[in-house]
Amino acid sequence: MKKTHIIGIIVIALAIAAILTTVADSSTYATFTEAQASPDNEFHVVGKLSKNKPLEYNPEVNANLFGFYMVDNNGVERKVLFNGTKPQDFERSEQIVITGQCSDSEFKATKILMKCPSKYNDGSEMKVLEAKS
Amino acid sequence: MDIQYLGEHLFIGKLGNFFVVLCFVAALFSSYAYFQTAKENELTPSWKKLARGGFLVHAAAVFGIAGTLFYMIFNHYFEYQYVWQHSNKSLPLQYMLSCFWEGQEGSFLLWTFWHAVLGMFLIKTSKTWEAPVMTVFSSVQVFLASMLLGIIISDYRLGSNPFLLLREHPEFQDLPFTKVPNYLENLDGKGLNPLLQNYWMVIHPPILFLGFASTVVPFCFAIAGLWKQKFGEWVKPALSWTFFGIMIFGVGILMGGAWAYESLSFGGFWAWDPVENASLVPWLTMVGAGHVMLIYKTNNRSLTTVLFLTIITFVLVLYSTFLTRSGILGDTSVHAFTDLGMSGQLLVYLLFYLFLGIGLIVFHRNKIKSLGSEESSSSREFWMFIGSLVLLISSFQIIFTTSIPVINKVLGTNLAPPLKPVEHYNSWQMPIAVVIALLIAIGQYFNYRKTDIKKFYKKITISFVVASILTVIGIFVFELKNFFYIALFLTSTFSITANLDYLIRILKGKISKAGASVAHIGFGMILLGALVSAGTSQTISVNTSGTDISKLGETFNNADNIMLAKGDTLKMGPYFVAYTGKEKRGINVYFKVEYFTKNADNTYTPEFVLEPLIQLNERMGNAAEPDTRHFLHKDVYTHITYADLENLNADTTSYTEAKAKTIAIGDTIFTSNSILVLEGLVKNIDKQRYSLAETDLAVGALFKVFNFEKKLSNLMPVFVLKGNRIESISAIENNLGLKINFVKLNPETGKVDVEVSEKVSNKKDFIIMKAIIFPAINILWFGCIIMAIGTVLAIIKRAKTQSTKKVSE
Repeated sequence: MKKTHIIGIIVIALAIAAILTTVADSSTYATFTEAQASPDNEFHVVGKLSKNKPLEYNPEVNANLFGFYMVDNNGVERKVLFNGTKPQDFERSEQIVITGQCSDSEFKATKILMKCPSKYNDGSEMKVLEAKS
Repeated sequence: MDIQYLGEHLFIGKLGNFFVVLCFVAALFSSYAYFQTAKENELTPSWKKLARGGFLVHAAAVFGIAGTLFYMIFNHYFEYQYVWQHSNKSLPLQYMLSCFWEGQEGSFLLWTFWHAVLGMFLIKTSKTWEAPVMTVFSSVQVFLASMLLGIIISDYRLGSNPFLLLREHPEFQDLPFTKVPNYLENLDGKGLNPLLQNYWMVIHPPILFLGFASTVVPFCFAIAGLWKQKFGEWVKPALSWTFFGIMIFGVGILMGGAWAYESLSFGGFWAWDPVENASLVPWLTMVGAGHVMLIYKTNNRSLTTVLFLTIITFVLVLYSTFLTRSGILGDTSVHAFTDLGMSGQLLVYLLFYLFLGIGLIVFHRNKIKSLGSEESSSSREFWMFIGSLVLLISSFQIIFTTSIPVINKVLGTNLAPPLKPVEHYNSWQMPIAVVIALLIAIGQYFNYRKTDIKKFYKKITISFVVASILTVIGIFVFELKNFFYIALFLTSTFSITANLDYLIRILKGKISKAGASVAHIGFGMILLGALVSAGTSQTISVNTSGTDISKLGETFNNADNIMLAKGDTLKMGPYFVAYTGKEKRGINVYFKVEYFTKNADNTYTPEFVLEPLIQLNERMGNAAEPDTRHFLHKDVYTHITYADLENLNADTTSYTEAKAKTIAIGDTIFTSNSILVLEGLVKNIDKQRYSLAETDLAVGALFKVFNFEKKLSNLMPVFVLKGNRIESISAIENNLGLKINFVKLNPETGKVDVEVSEKVSNKKDFIIMKAIIFPAINILWFGCIIMAIGTVLAIIKRAKTQSTKKVSE
């Protein structure tokens, strides 16, 4: 076998390995119900903030814990505990993507990605904010 | 019904539109004329003249568009949507240029602008290659110019025009203001996003776009070479362009990192964000392309790889633009872009050039592959080739994960991005960086064609030993534990020492030949600086108080953010940190965070003061900007993650509701920022001072006031009896925002009733902050500068050898 062939096979093998790692490391979008069904796995859940429920943030008690209620795209509401500070403009968020695990009917999020509409309402601008624990 | 609008400047917009159309038509014409020139092998000189003229007209039109747009922004012509959207009357002059890269039309214009500049240099320098290269080049310009056309062809809008009137813009044309003739009278623009009003955002985008633009030149050479069946001859003239691109593009990317580090909140210079990845990937393939070009130049090998990498680099630039401009990344990136309806158009260009390039390679594959003999594995070119393949794998891995949203669209899957993106990318990119650093270290010690392996080992031993010693020191200093950290520390240090050694011992310090070594030293430093600063960064704002939330879940911890009340001092790493107040200047609220160190005798030495800020950004929402103290060997980064901004405008004059207390002499009252001790009652009151009559009875309650810095002051409220009327003269301490009223004296018990109130602004002023120490990040920035210098040296040397060759010919 020629050296170039060996190198070629290695490159292809690495490329396949890269694809497989990506698929293995990638997460899945889920609803609260699905996330609750397998509490050991982490999921991305897309939904909206329940604006009529209170936001719980008491930095005097713990600056790294923020609680809120979210309704997922199927209309199921869960309490979400986020390991971090309350993100700026959280109340204004239009869509939230949270990452984490759901156990004991509470969702423990380690990451929040939120979209806020721009105040000047031309609809073309959205701000996406990311908060990490 | 025609409305006569007042105060509009319609001529300038028509002029702009004229330039837009001219720019498109001239590029089309130039491309066709160059095509004819190339097809006839320059038999008809008039075609070439026409083609050149066409390109010059095109370039002039591009400058015309930019000039017109700038003139409109400068003069606040808000009747134009782009001007209204991206600027306002109060915008400082230095940021008017930034308006160009806030909007998508403007950023396409910037891209087109750099192409036009590069194109003129190409016409000057490319000689026999001019016609075929410029045919391709002008065709790219046709595509780019069409992005600005804004012409509607049967319901499809081709491009987006920056000279559209506000009242004719699709989103506004039905609004009531378009019926008001004098709507312009009180109109101000929306203004430039304050996040972009930052000096980094003035210099970073033009440089990055020049980097993007520079990839087109080697691409055009490659296509021209395939077309004219001069499969390899194009490499020589394209080589300097490629390395110019590598330098500018690399600097542009790292400048973006510097901007993120200085003004964004994620704490670091790199976060594997899709937008960052999209610009890194074509740079990696371009570096690969540049190196295989060097191989081809020495021994005419690896041509297929040269062609592939060169073509894919430009296609990846188009793909990167597609990713960031189409809104497809919406859910995964913090850089939000929305679709202006041009993503379809971009996709067409991308696929066109992809199929053109790859198709030509496949079509001519037998002729390209004619040189098939094996390279010796002890040759420099063999390892350079391996290095380029490693870069290709690196870029493939990055772009594949970044493309998850695209894959979802195409395959209908429902994949979400990795939960831990940084760990995901690092699991591949760290080992790759180890290999690359190793190749950089040993590469130059191999000769072209074949190397005596014994001599090779002899030559590199010293630098390897030095690197190993440095690594052992590094393991202790930076407490490195991770295997890959240690491996990368060793190989990147080795790449620095080996190239330094090569520079001194083998090149004998000859600067003219030092380009590659210097550039590689710089790259080694970038890797080392990135490893040390990101890998051993230390979050010192660890929350030690408060309830333990780690019981809520394995992934939960108390770390990272800490609450700091005004006046408090908390220990953070080697420092003691105090928050001493906030101040609003312009649209920014600055939070004063003071860093101290503790001396042996328990006194504190002030070290430095940082002022991280929160920008009250009405347009994009409030945004926090960190402040960083730079030392030579480390940076201390401080960032506000949460602050109560509601009391910001609370006046500093009003007081909270008073709290009544009954106390005896010697008793203590605690307020939010001080301790009050009742010392005693004072009977001989200076009545004139309080403008009291001689007959009035007055008693003062003397308080000693300690603030938390243990400074002492006195406060004495006075209780007055005017006949049978009671009066109370309050005592105020302005610095502490304290007010005390002496309300009642109880002669039987000797106790006094007082009311204590504090200023509203005293209440609950705290910040939640994050502080990170980044060690040795300066190695990264210096490395970037050194790499750029090295690349320039290499380009200069190449230009010189080319011109001396010509003289000898």
